This record gives sequence, structure tokens and C-alpha cells, in this order.
Amino acid sequence: MIGERAINAVGTRAVAVSREIGGITILFAQILRALLPPRLDGRELVKNLHKMGNRSVPIVALTAFFTGGLMVVQAAPFVQRLQATSLAGWAAGYAVLREVGPILIALMFSGRVGANNTAELGTMTVTEQLDGLRALAIDPIRYLIVPRVVAMMVMLVCLTCIGDLIALAGAMLVAKGVLDIEFGIMYASFVENLSPADFLHGIYKSIAFGLSIAVTSCYFGVTVRGGAVGVGRAVNAAVVAAAVSIMLLDFFLTYLNV
Amino acid sequence: MNYLVDRIAGVGAYALGVLRAAFELWMVFVGTIAGIWRLYGRRGATRPPGALVEQMHVIGNRSLLFIVVTVGFIGMVMIYQACLQFSRSVGDLSQIGVQFARLIVSDLGPTLTSMMLATRVGAGIAAEIGSMKVTEQVDALRMSGVLPIDYLLVPRFLASIVMTMVLSILGAAIMYGAGGLTAYLSFGVNPRVFYDLAMVEPRHLGLGLLKAFCYGAAIPIVSGFCGLRARGSSEGVGWATTAAVVGSSFAVIALDFMLSVGALWLFGGDV
Amino acid sequence: MIELQDVGVRFASRQVLDGVRLDVARGARLGIIGPAASGKSVLIKVIAGLVAPSSGRLIIDGTDVTGLTEERLAPVRARIGMLFQNYALYDFLTVEGNVGFPLVRRGEPADQVAQRVRDRLRAVGLAGSEHKLPSQLSGGMKKRVGIARATIAAPELVLYDEPTAGLDPVTTSKMYDLLRADHEQSGATAIAVSSDVAALIGFVDTVIFLYQGRAHYQGPAATVADAPDPVVRQFVRGALDGPLVG
Repeated sequence: MIGERAINAVGTRAVAVSREIGGITILFAQILRALLPPRLDGRELVKNLHKMGNRSVPIVALTAFFTGGLMVVQAAPFVQRLQATSLAGWAAGYAVLREVGPILIALMFSGRVGANNTAELGTMTVTEQLDGLRALAIDPIRYLIVPRVVAMMVMLVCLTCIGDLIALAGAMLVAKGVLDIEFGIMYASFVENLSPADFLHGIYKSIAFGLSIAVTSCYFGVTVRGGAVGVGRAVNAAVVAAAVSIMLLDFFLTYLNV
Repeated sequence: MNYLVDRIAGVGAYALGVLRAAFELWMVFVGTIAGIWRLYGRRGATRPPGALVEQMHVIGNRSLLFIVVTVGFIGMVMIYQACLQFSRSVGDLSQIGVQFARLIVSDLGPTLTSMMLATRVGAGIAAEIGSMKVTEQVDALRMSGVLPIDYLLVPRFLASIVMTMVLSILGAAIMYGAGGLTAYLSFGVNPRVFYDLAMVEPRHLGLGLLKAFCYGAAIPIVSGFCGLRARGSSEGVGWATTAAVVGSSFAVIALDFMLSVGALWLFGGDV
Repeated sequence: MIELQDVGVRFASRQVLDGVRLDVARGARLGIIGPAASGKSVLIKVIAGLVAPSSGRLIIDGTDVTGLTEERLAPVRARIGMLFQNYALYDFLTVEGNVGFPLVRRGEPADQVAQRVRDRLRAVGLAGSEHKLPSQLSGGMKKRVGIARATIAAPELVLYDEPTAGLDPVTTSKMYDLLRADHEQSGATAIAVSSDVAALIGFVDTVIFLYQGRAHYQGPAATVADAPDPVVRQFVRGALDGPLVG
């Protein structure tokens, strides 16, 4: 029976997804508990901050630059039809700060840092390094995972700030190159129409995105089974889960309008 | 002084590495195109049986739920933000739907759908091919006289082009539907006013489909290239998968930028 | 049948193989031994045409095949079978699909392929596991499936990369019994890389000792433990003191 098989498949899938969500929630709770009292392995934290933050600057900068430019290109038809060059900065800046900037930077961050984190933890898991830590009475959550989660949250916020700035610069450059709008006009348009609230709206989101990328990527990393094939599959699952959670969080945060 | 020389040497080596990688990526692309000719342009070539249909299933059908959920939500958010922006300034929301339709067809639909596909499909392709590479299955294929690009990449390439275009159309429809619903529920925009395709012209559709085509071609090429470069063991596969997600996502953004600017130049302000 | 002339392989800045000369006659059995990271696996991949040498030439049956394109190499490879270190079984195919793969690729009819796969699997002692997936097999079984796949197309040359790595001593003996019987029947040339020297020298007639990327010593397998070269003697006997470094 095709119908029966389909229902079966849907059920299996639903159970699997529920299990992942449950596992992620438990890991999140364990991370919170490990943060009380907040004792962090300083060296591990600094190492991760550098690896996850500094090394991601080039790709975030490139993404942000193109994103800013794209927003101007998409706004170009209105601007040209209405002959209202002062609107270009407003449209591009608003979209970049509140929505597109944080989302695209988070997606890139998830691809680069989150996926890498899953691969690293996954490799440690399949080569039994986590068991090795446990054998030395070192709690892998406190020692390995908490510094990563903190580093990812901090660094995604920093990268979003940098990215926002570069995106606005990209918007100005593209506006000059494609629409021939002077830098001063774009700048004035930004200053007049954008409020700190727009920027903060994006930053709040990036905090939430960073947390969800961190927890999901760690979860899929420590639950890897089965060698190189398993690591590949885990990274795949991690980026998919991170993308879904970014979109869902974005939706709820927009509605809450924080 | 020595430090400076080391630094410059490091930058040079890095640049060389990037150039070599770019060349290899290009060769993968050329090889895939040649592979299509080898498999489908000649009579009597041995094609991997059923591979194309299977890949279309993996890339298309299996991504369906993921695309519906992510693109649906982002469609709602986009229109919510746009309504907020318009109601604060212009105050007139009747134009939102018309403009949104044009933007979805020519850009947001294919681009956001493909960003999501770059994540899922790109990671999947790189993980699969990368695992085969590090477990020597790719070498085993070569020993059987099979070109890995023909056997592994060509079906994924063709399937990805078809399915990215199909899913882009679906994604655009879902965004449009979800956007209209949001505008109605949150801002009371009449759906009859919102769902107005007056501004959408054939060239918008053409641009959107062209974008989907290019994204669909770029994602498997970049990810397959990353997978085939995998070395070592599990960390190699992990690295390949990571690089594939970043690379193919970035390819989507860069292609979007180039095609959008190109269209702007071609059609002027009326894109 | 196989001739290597001063083959060198460089990976980035590391010289993995350096000036390796080799001449393997048809029907001969050569064992490649040496310490870890001495370039054994790379050497066997050079012979298979999987790794292109950075210098020197590879000659098969009098034809220079150095630097041929993958497409041109295909007819050469059709005469070579290879067992990979980690089996390299296609995890998306069944045992039958794996073993029959080289034949299917040549367009042989399905019923004939099925018959030959059955025969081959019986020969390696795996009759009845046609429809299992590689993930359902033990390490020794996977090796045997790999051997069946390497030899199904009646190759003139079979390359074995670590045929007994990860196997227990009894399974190792069985594996070499199988290889011996196989080669006595087919008369095919064999080149095997192994870290398990004691078991390997019962199968091959000549050994070549790779050391720091060079062919340090070549001689008959039976007397390798008494080789005049002190490094080889130390390595084969597993002695702790001697000239061997690394």
C-alpha cells in the first residue's frame, strides 16, 4: 500500500526530527548548567574566538559587500522611476540592517564556522577523543563545547556589526557605480532614515542566530556515528538544521519586533 | 625583516593556492560539460543506470519540505518588514503586492531558494563525493575505467539544474502566497489588491529562470570540486563539506549580483 | 611487464618517491615492504596510474603510459585489478553490484555478469552474500569482496594495497592461501604492499624495500631476513637497535 508506506515514512521522519530536537534541547540545558558557575577554559575560548571570528572576516566581508550592492540594485527600478535618489539609501540600509545582513551573514557563518565545528567535534568523536577526555575526568561539555558556544555567539555579533558596515559601504559603492548616486547623498539618506533601533533589531537577531548555530552544530558533532561517511552526513544535517532554525527564529523575532 | 619576507612569501603561496584552486574548479566545470557530451551526445555510451532520476529525487523531492519551511518563513518576514517600512513612511500599502511580485519573480524567489539549496544540496554532494574520495571509492571507479566526473558529477549537475529551476518556481509561489497572507493578517492589506501581477513581465520571468539555471549549475560544480579535493579521513570530509556550503552559497550571491547588474544595464531602470 | 624508470613523486614540498627503478616480469610476484610513510602506497598507486609521477616514466608492456589522460588510461587499466587498503567498496551497491561493476561497465550482458559474479564469490568463499550491502560485512569479508572485484575481469596484473591490514593471523593465512591459489590458476602478475612482512614473503618471490622514498634494496623474498643490507635485516627482524631511522 502506497498510502500506508507514505504514512509510515512521515511517521519515521517525525520521530527522527523530534529526537534531534529533544537532543538539542538537552544539550542546551547541559550547556546552561555548565555555565553555572561561569568557569571558562580561557585558552580554549581565545583559540576559538580567533579561529571562528578573525578567520571568518574575509568571507563575511565579501558576502556583506555583495549583499549591500544587491539591495541597491534591487531598489534601482523604484529609484529611477521615482527620480528619488534619496530613497536608495533608505531602502538598501533598512533591508540590510534589519533583515538581509544578519540572515546572510548568519548563513555564511553557519556554513563556515558551524559546519567546521561539527566536522571537528565529529572527528574527535569518531576518533574517540571525547572518551579520552572523559577518561581523564574532564567534562567535554565544559571543556570543549561551552567555549565554542560562547565564542560563536560573541563572534557572530561582532561579524554582523562589521558586515553591516561593509554592506552599507558596498551599497554606496554600487550606487555610485551603477546608479551614479553621489556618496554624500547615500550617506545622508542613511543618516536621515535609519535609526539605531534598526541596527539593534539586526543585532538581537544575530545573538539568537549565533546561539542556535552553536548549539545545533555542537549537537550534530558529538552525535556522529560511523567514520568519515558519518562526519559528512553530520555536517550536512547541521547546516540544514541551522538554516531552518535561523529562518524560524527570524520569523518569531520579527513578529516580537524586538 | 625576515618576518616581513616570511609574511610576503605566505601571501604569495596563498595566492598561488587560490589560483590553482580556481583553475581546478574551472577544469571540473569543463570536465562536467565534456562529460555530458560523452554520456548523452554519443550513441552507445554506458550511462550510470537510473542515476539521473535518483539524483533528481535526492536533490529535488528530498529538499521539498526544507524549501517550503525556510522560504515560506522568510517570505512572511520579508513582506512584514516591507509593510512596516512602507507604513512608517509612505503610509500606502496598496503598491506592496505589485512590487513584491516583480521582485520575487526576478530575484527573491530563485535566489533565496537557491541559497537554501546551496546549504542542503551543496553539503550533501560534498559529503557524498568527499566520503567516496577518502575511502578510495573514487580511485576504484578510475580503476574500472570510469571517469569520476562522468559517473558522480554529471547526473548531479543535470538533476540540480532541473530541480533548482522547479524548486525556484515553487519557492517563489510559496513566498508570494505567504507574503500575501502576512500582509493581510498583520496589516489588513486586501488580498485582491496584493495579488496583482500587473508589473510582472516576461523578461522578469526570464531573468528569474536564468538565475535559477545558473545557481543550479554552480552549486554541484562547486560542491563536487570540494568533494573531489577531500583528502585524509573524516576531517577531510568535514573540511570539504564546509567549503562546499560556503563556496556554493557565495557563488549564489556573487552570481545574483552579476546577473542583476547585467540585467540593470541591459534593461535600464525597468528591470 | 611493468617497468618504472627513475620515478619520483612530489607532494607540495615533500619528496615522497625518489628515483625508483623497478622491472617486474610477467607472472612474477613482487612484494613492496618498508617502514610507515616510506611511500609504499604511493608507489602502488603510481603503478596503477592513479598518481602521476612528477619525474620518470611508467612503462607497461613496452608502452609508455606516463601522463596519459584518464580516458587513454582506461584500456590500460582494464588489464589491471586493484585491491584497495580500505576495500573501497561502493557503499551504494550490493556485493553483487560491487563485484560485477567492472564487467557491467564493459557492457557485458547481465546474465553472464551474474554467473561470473557467483563463480568469483564462491572462489573467495562468499557464496550466498550477493545481496548484502558492504556495511553488513566484516573486515575480512570486505577484503574478499575487494579481491573478487579486483580479479573478476581476469586482469593480467593485480595490485594489492595492504591485503591483510586489520585481519587476525588466521584470516591472514587464509587470505594468502586464497591469493596463492588464485595466481597459480590465472598466472597473473601480482604486486603487493604490506606491513606484515612475515606473511607477505610466503606469497611473493621478490621483495623491494622502500626506505625514505627510495628503493633501498631488492632481492629474493625467501632470504630477505638474511639480506646483506643491515637496514633491511633490522626491519624484517623487527630489531630495536640498528641503523634504521624513523
